[in-house]
Amino acid sequence: MTRAPLLAIFALATIAPATVWAAEASAAPWWVWPIALFTVTFLLGIVAVLAGVGGGVLFVPIVGGFFPFHLDFVRGAGLLLALSGSLSAAPELLRRGFASLRLALPLALAGSTTAIFGAMVGLALPTAVVQTALGVVVLLIVLLTWRMPDVDEPRASRPDALSAALRLSGVFHDRAAARDIDWQAHRTPLGLAAFAAIGLMGGMLGLGAGWANVPALNLVMGVPIKLAVGTSTLAISISNTSAAWVYLNHGALLPILHVPSILGVMLGARVGAHLLQRVQSGTARRIMLVLLAIAGVRALAKGLGIWE
Amino acid sequence: MTTESDYASSEQHLYADWLDVGTRVGFVALVASFVVYVTGLVPPGIAHTDLPRYWSLPVTEYLAATGAPSGWAWIARLGESDLLNFVGVAILGTVTILCYARILAVFVRSSERALAAICIAEIVVLAVAASGLFGAGH
Repeated sequence: MTRAPLLAIFALATIAPATVWAAEASAAPWWVWPIALFTVTFLLGIVAVLAGVGGGVLFVPIVGGFFPFHLDFVRGAGLLLALSGSLSAAPELLRRGFASLRLALPLALAGSTTAIFGAMVGLALPTAVVQTALGVVVLLIVLLTWRMPDVDEPRASRPDALSAALRLSGVFHDRAAARDIDWQAHRTPLGLAAFAAIGLMGGMLGLGAGWANVPALNLVMGVPIKLAVGTSTLAISISNTSAAWVYLNHGALLPILHVPSILGVMLGARVGAHLLQRVQSGTARRIMLVLLAIAGVRALAKGLGIWE
Repeated sequence: MTTESDYASSEQHLYADWLDVGTRVGFVALVASFVVYVTGLVPPGIAHTDLPRYWSLPVTEYLAATGAPSGWAWIARLGESDLLNFVGVAILGTVTILCYARILAVFVRSSERALAAICIAEIVVLAVAASGLFGAGH
């Protein structure tokens, strides 16, 4: 079938020009870069939606690995990119009941607090250390995503004391299944610890956190998968806000880098959403994993000084 | 007939409405200031042609080499179009704080003390992050 080659072309079109342009960094005029960023992030936006991930997780390792910008600025742009996407999506998710504000409030508090420290640590550490950590985390994401079990409607056991006190429960309407699903969060302290760890890592590496938030909500806290995806988006809009302020206050933002990237990913995501019905998500997911694996190896090799 | 929006609480709708408006304003500011910057309508602090010499430097070296500001010092230099772009970023960074302040009032009125306390704590965390206490003057 023609779908796999089509997506492979997307992947090649993403990596190849970036590599060539990066090799010619000193020769390229300044205006080439916003155009290149817009093109690459537009393709990343398409792949991200088809693969069911946020653009941030693809952006930092790929742009950090193949573009000439310093990783400090790429991480700042990655945070803004994930923040912009989540801020845009959250209102509709909240209105339609696909996200739970009540559930996001305590989790986002844990994530946004540690994200500040993550951002500070990331900006204080030597670049090679952050680059190496980025490579390791990205390769772990590939492994986890590849091996992750699919759990759609986990059966939550009895709510814990914190979940009961905060009334972390509700009714979610699954339109595809045309029925209501009662949900009740459990293992809340473990969920809070997971969000604190994810916030720390997100702030440090500038990655979007959906890849980790969703399993934490679904597999750890027993939240239905669709509600987990929506609530994760809302939580990202809050926790990335605190980290983004740290990057802004450090002066680690370059408009020439973050604005074309935000526009590219958001436009690509819209196109991806239209293509969603025509492309197999499994194929897109495999392409995304290949892209991430290449970018992860590149980040690791760069961090270890093997492949400058 | 029950619609999807009936499954969302009133405070969710309120939060969504405020977030929607704030995000739109932030994006307009971000894109408009970028157009001003990239077209050169208003000159930037760091010339476009000089940027490639600096953007591969770590942020500390970049600030030292270019004299670009850290913390809130950019506010005093909004006449430079690259720093004007930070207005949009600051709006996007403020909208969540405003949303929390709005729903805090709802939780206080309905005596949801635990959620009100979480809202206050989140506002403090975001305000501290925005203040520059962590990171300004790098």
